[in-house]
Amino acid sequence: MSNLLPFVVLGIALGSVFALSGLGIVVLYRTTGVLNFAGGATGALGALVAWTLLEALGLNEWVAYLGGILTAAFLTLLYGVTVGRGLAHRDPLTKAMGTIGLLLALLGLMSLVWNPTVVRTMPLPTTAITMRIGPVVVNGTQIVALVLALVVCAATAVFLKRSKLGTAMRAMADDRTSTAILGVPVRSVEATTWFVSGLLAGVSGLLLSNLVNLNAVDLTFLVIPALAVALVAMLRSVWVCFAAGLAIGLIQSLLTPVLALSPYRSMTPFVVAVVAVLWMAWRRPNVERIA
Amino acid sequence: MMATGMVSHGRDLSPLPPAATSKRKRPWWLSGTPVVTAVVVAAVFVVWPMLASGYWVQASTSAAAFAMAALGVSVLVGRVGLISLGQVALVATGAWIALRLGYGTGLPFPVIVFLAGVGTGVVGLVIGLPSLWLSGLTFAVLTLMGAAAITLVLTVISFPNGGGGLTGFASTGDSAPMLERPMYADSDADYFRLALVIAVLMFALVLIHLNSRAGRAWEAIRQSPAAAIGTGIDVVRYKLWAILLASFIAGVAGAVMAGAGGIRVTLFPVQDSIIIVAAVLMAGAFSLWGAIVAAVLMKFLGAAFTLLDVSSSLLLILFGAGIIQVLLQSPQGIVGQLQGVVARRRRRDRTADTGQAEGEQDA
Amino acid sequence: MLSVRGLTVRYGAVVSLNDVSFEFPTATTCGLIGPNGAGKTTFLNTVSGFSKPAAGAITAFGEELGPMSGYQRARWGLRRTFQTEQTIHKLTVYDNVAMVHEHSRSRRANRRAAVRDALDFVGLGGMGDTAVGELDAGNRRMVEIARAVVGEPQLILMDEPAAGLPDNETARLSEIIRAIPERTGALTVLVDHDMDLVTSCCSITAVLDFGSLLAIGATAEVLADTRVAKAYLGEEIDEEEEQTS
Repeated sequence: MSNLLPFVVLGIALGSVFALSGLGIVVLYRTTGVLNFAGGATGALGALVAWTLLEALGLNEWVAYLGGILTAAFLTLLYGVTVGRGLAHRDPLTKAMGTIGLLLALLGLMSLVWNPTVVRTMPLPTTAITMRIGPVVVNGTQIVALVLALVVCAATAVFLKRSKLGTAMRAMADDRTSTAILGVPVRSVEATTWFVSGLLAGVSGLLLSNLVNLNAVDLTFLVIPALAVALVAMLRSVWVCFAAGLAIGLIQSLLTPVLALSPYRSMTPFVVAVVAVLWMAWRRPNVERIA
Repeated sequence: MMATGMVSHGRDLSPLPPAATSKRKRPWWLSGTPVVTAVVVAAVFVVWPMLASGYWVQASTSAAAFAMAALGVSVLVGRVGLISLGQVALVATGAWIALRLGYGTGLPFPVIVFLAGVGTGVVGLVIGLPSLWLSGLTFAVLTLMGAAAITLVLTVISFPNGGGGLTGFASTGDSAPMLERPMYADSDADYFRLALVIAVLMFALVLIHLNSRAGRAWEAIRQSPAAAIGTGIDVVRYKLWAILLASFIAGVAGAVMAGAGGIRVTLFPVQDSIIIVAAVLMAGAFSLWGAIVAAVLMKFLGAAFTLLDVSSSLLLILFGAGIIQVLLQSPQGIVGQLQGVVARRRRRDRTADTGQAEGEQDA
Repeated sequence: MLSVRGLTVRYGAVVSLNDVSFEFPTATTCGLIGPNGAGKTTFLNTVSGFSKPAAGAITAFGEELGPMSGYQRARWGLRRTFQTEQTIHKLTVYDNVAMVHEHSRSRRANRRAAVRDALDFVGLGGMGDTAVGELDAGNRRMVEIARAVVGEPQLILMDEPAAGLPDNETARLSEIIRAIPERTGALTVLVDHDMDLVTSCCSITAVLDFGSLLAIGATAEVLADTRVAKAYLGEEIDEEEEQTS
């Protein structure tokens, strides 16, 4: 049993980041109706920018990380106020397809600027800090991931329910036009949401570049676990994001020592998503879904 | 929760109807466009392999396969309003099945192609089924995840190359697995012609569907799911049928690629499944010609870029920007816009003939 | 006969229909009226199968509609016209009507005749080959009605069919609706705000207000009922009477 503990630690850390990025997707969807497929790609860009600032320009680490995270945030904001606004009155599928376009463009941009054949690493300083918790060794990055996930989830839950901005965001998810008529500054609420979603993507990208690797394509498609988390949370619940993220991360990690399944373990989010969707379809609500 | 409401999603991605021509007075296969198409296809069949170099013939075979894959996407997107982000992964699945049958059995080429289609149809159905009672958005997400899963599995087990066992892979087997071509289509040029014939068959298959009860049901579902239900249409069943058809065609395309040779996983990256949707949207999801334009866009442009030593990353940026442009400004895509121009001119001629008031508009 | 027992429909916290019970007899046209928000469209949606009731049952011609899903009810013989006509614009008039027949329990052999018959009934006899998208609003509504009467319908629900039609078209509509019971043997439920239409077509009318049944009976009597007038106009009519008396 104790030889599984390292995998538990890895799983919790990975799962925490899944929860974070899933949360970014849920918050954005709840406010704007946009399912952001490009969350992973923006995070990847942020990580690569940070790498460049650090390695190529020799800047201070924290400046580099901040630069990366802000790149992701501002890029997402830029998309939100241009394309996002242009598609604001369309159906959710169309809005999501816009982010698919962003995903492709970013993939192209990243492989153009950062040669894909070069292997890059960017170890976070927290990874060097290790400590023993019982029989297990944990590093700083893993702890940061978990703590961040907890704190952000808690903060988001409280914020959405209690604050004025949060209530505005929830109202917009219901009915953008009515909310606007009521005098809520819909545009700035939207812009803020896009920005925050980008921040979360940037942070996730940075953490994943350490927990997985710093590779544009891999990081881009790590949006898939985030989407799985968001689906399980029914694109709605903050705390289910946290739980689902941890669950997926744990299951995936615990499959590592299982020889027969190990090579396929990154399919875990897909399997979990399918189960979640089947369950939701079975418990179909009041109105017959026609879309 | 997720995308809901009684309004069709598909409407956003499909064009306004061109002036409808009577469907009953003359058999459809005798009217204008099919005759022109037949002539063009016949010309390409005979002439193209004679003109083109080996490199371009191979690119053309690839394009024919991708035209079929794009056709499948076009049926789903343009006719039913479902966006599959996993079509190329299904093509890879078809190639896998074809290779496994090719190396493991002595079945003739056409049978293998058919079985590859059927097997892939089942895989597509399994991936698409769970989300059918929920929204089109869920379908898109699950197909993307399915594409990644399929690609992962193929990366692990590799394509069959003459080995035994379930996976048919042996490290000592063929390094560039290929499905054995039928005797009458052994050369690259002849194989291209065979690929073209198969593509034409797939287009014919879709056309038959579009003119049948399924096609009418799909149009109802696309325009107004509420009206479709009111018509007595089992929406889930007809969506399943569309998914089955699109996946079957993808499988056939995969088998064709298997015969072209040099099959490896890197030939079917996850992003290609996304790009093919972009290409179809840009070219026009409603018209069948859109699928052809899309495939040509993808494969010929790609081949051209490689020849000119221009980075294929630019292609990604092009398609990414392309989707966004189409969504924002011209939902009917390039072909739809062209058809719109032709239709307006035709309508102008008709009103001139019949002397009808200019105010008569189609919806 | 259409029988509704204890029907309750909720959308979240809003109770749209509250324990509604009544009966409509066979082969006639019945009106369903009420002010905006009374629950008329909810009622139609529930009978059509788009909304699931929290409680209660709907029986039509002896069959419980509850276990049937939306499209199954359509196959059984439930037809519906919508507030904004829902015809399939890219298909021809013929195809639009034939589709309904195609997906019903009716036999294939009779299809051509049945469709021609339905088209003649609404006055679109020669227009089978025209794409519906090319027709004007009035004719598109007629296509919708042809879809409702083709073959063997049992229950026809009409949601504000006169909406957006000019007066002369409404007269034509009225004639057609009045002819439906004899032609099809179906029970038609007509929801509309046009009281002239309701009076000329419906022998019986039910009134909904705030999700509850307010009145039901012969149309003329129901429309003369002061409670019904109050529901539409609010309480003021009472105060006015008090002031003048």
